[in-house]
Amino acid sequence: MPEQFQNLEPFMGWALAKEGERRAQRLSSTMDEIQVFYDAIFPQMEAAIAYLDQFPLDQLPEEAQQLYYLTLSLVEVTSAVELYHQPHIIEAIEPARFRRVE
Amino acid sequence: MEMVTENKRWAKEYPELGTGPVPAESCISPEYFELERERIFRRTWLNVGRVDAIPNPGDYFVRELAVCKTSILVIRGTDGIVRGFHNVCSHRSNKLVWEETGTCQGAFACHFHSWAYNAQGQLIGVPDEDNFHDLKKSELGLTPVTTDIWEGFIFVHLDSDPQEGLVEYLGGVADQLGGGAFHKRTLTHTYKVEENANWKVALDAQNESYHLPFQHRYSFPGMFVLKDNRYLRLSGVKLYNHHAVWSTTYNSESTPTPSGALMNKFNTATTNSRLPMLGDFDFFVIFPNFVILQFRGIEDDHYMTYNFWPLAVDRCIWEINVHFPPAQNAGQKLSQEYLNHRICDVLQEDAVAHETLQIGLTSRAKTHLMLQDDEIQIRQFHKVMEDYMGFFNGRGQ
Repeated sequence: MPEQFQNLEPFMGWALAKEGERRAQRLSSTMDEIQVFYDAIFPQMEAAIAYLDQFPLDQLPEEAQQLYYLTLSLVEVTSAVELYHQPHIIEAIEPARFRRVE
Repeated sequence: MEMVTENKRWAKEYPELGTGPVPAESCISPEYFELERERIFRRTWLNVGRVDAIPNPGDYFVRELAVCKTSILVIRGTDGIVRGFHNVCSHRSNKLVWEETGTCQGAFACHFHSWAYNAQGQLIGVPDEDNFHDLKKSELGLTPVTTDIWEGFIFVHLDSDPQEGLVEYLGGVADQLGGGAFHKRTLTHTYKVEENANWKVALDAQNESYHLPFQHRYSFPGMFVLKDNRYLRLSGVKLYNHHAVWSTTYNSESTPTPSGALMNKFNTATTNSRLPMLGDFDFFVIFPNFVILQFRGIEDDHYMTYNFWPLAVDRCIWEINVHFPPAQNAGQKLSQEYLNHRICDVLQEDAVAHETLQIGLTSRAKTHLMLQDDEIQIRQFHKVMEDYMGFFNGRGQ
């Protein structure tokens, strides 16, 4: 993890490349775990994006790549934290049935 | 924001559609579904994908058109030309290509006896060829399917000589969306949902904005609710010959979530070519089962498509494709991922309704759909269906 984002090291389990993996991580986490991750990374999002935007998106160095995956996981948990207050969408089909083709 | 306050305005504009309840039997009748195979899906141009999905020579995708009881191979030849074929070997009709997508590495070999075809669909190899009688390989290529491309959207027609060409069939939609720079946007996300719903039930459920404040009360609270208990009415409706578009404005009164406010700052990817939009959100239904959704963005617009693929009278696949302006950096990409995430939550809520609607309709407790003026496009869709099916006062075929 780049120097200024060392505090995100405990959350490397959220550094996942695929949308399906990030979704599975959200759905298998407790709301407390999701909230702790959100609270850690949300205030750093603008700084993280500024850091990542030094590089072309398809040529991120390894450290930056992991940070990028973490920011994608932030996106994944936003509605759980800000809207639903639970990991799942409140009234939706079973998540696995909404199949991402990737 | 322009507010629509006049009641029942679309019925005045399209009086020929009437105002009565619409029969729902077509959504649950197995006999009707069997007739749809011939009368709808073999008589219309069907979108099967986009050229972007197969940019390089040899790139292909396969579409299982269950409703037409056929599998279609769409492939870009080494000559750069996109062609559609029945995905059937000329030897004894085995299914040729089994992968959903890929690149032809020189030839496809049938799994049964290894008859081989090139990317132009020509038969180029037959094992033990000398033991066949009068085999003319040049006449035994894959069977072509009528295929045409409009604005990068690939359509097939199961009739080898359709009465209408593709652009003629698209009519006013082609006029409205032609030149729309769709090709400057990139396919970023594909989703497929297999649903226990008739394909028309799923399409109808998407084909209006009336449900937004209610079905999506959790995913977008406040977004579709206006002050003083006003409803966000449609800002535009255009009904074409077989097709339709309706539009809404965005609700400028709604407050973004913390992430929404953050991500808006990075929503800056642009192609410098706006989409040809009628409102802030446009929903084009291209008969029978294809939808183009255009979303006005801050710096540029993005679009999605839906294909509703019938499997049975009470089952379909809802295919969703998302196209954004190419993201140049992580901030732009994240803002797109965020927007897509929010929309996908909405779609997962919608899919619930598709299935609970089907359950209710199947009970036959109610026989008709009660449609309001802002659902006139559903009324029109069912009338076009009836015209094609030939049940409507002897009109159509």
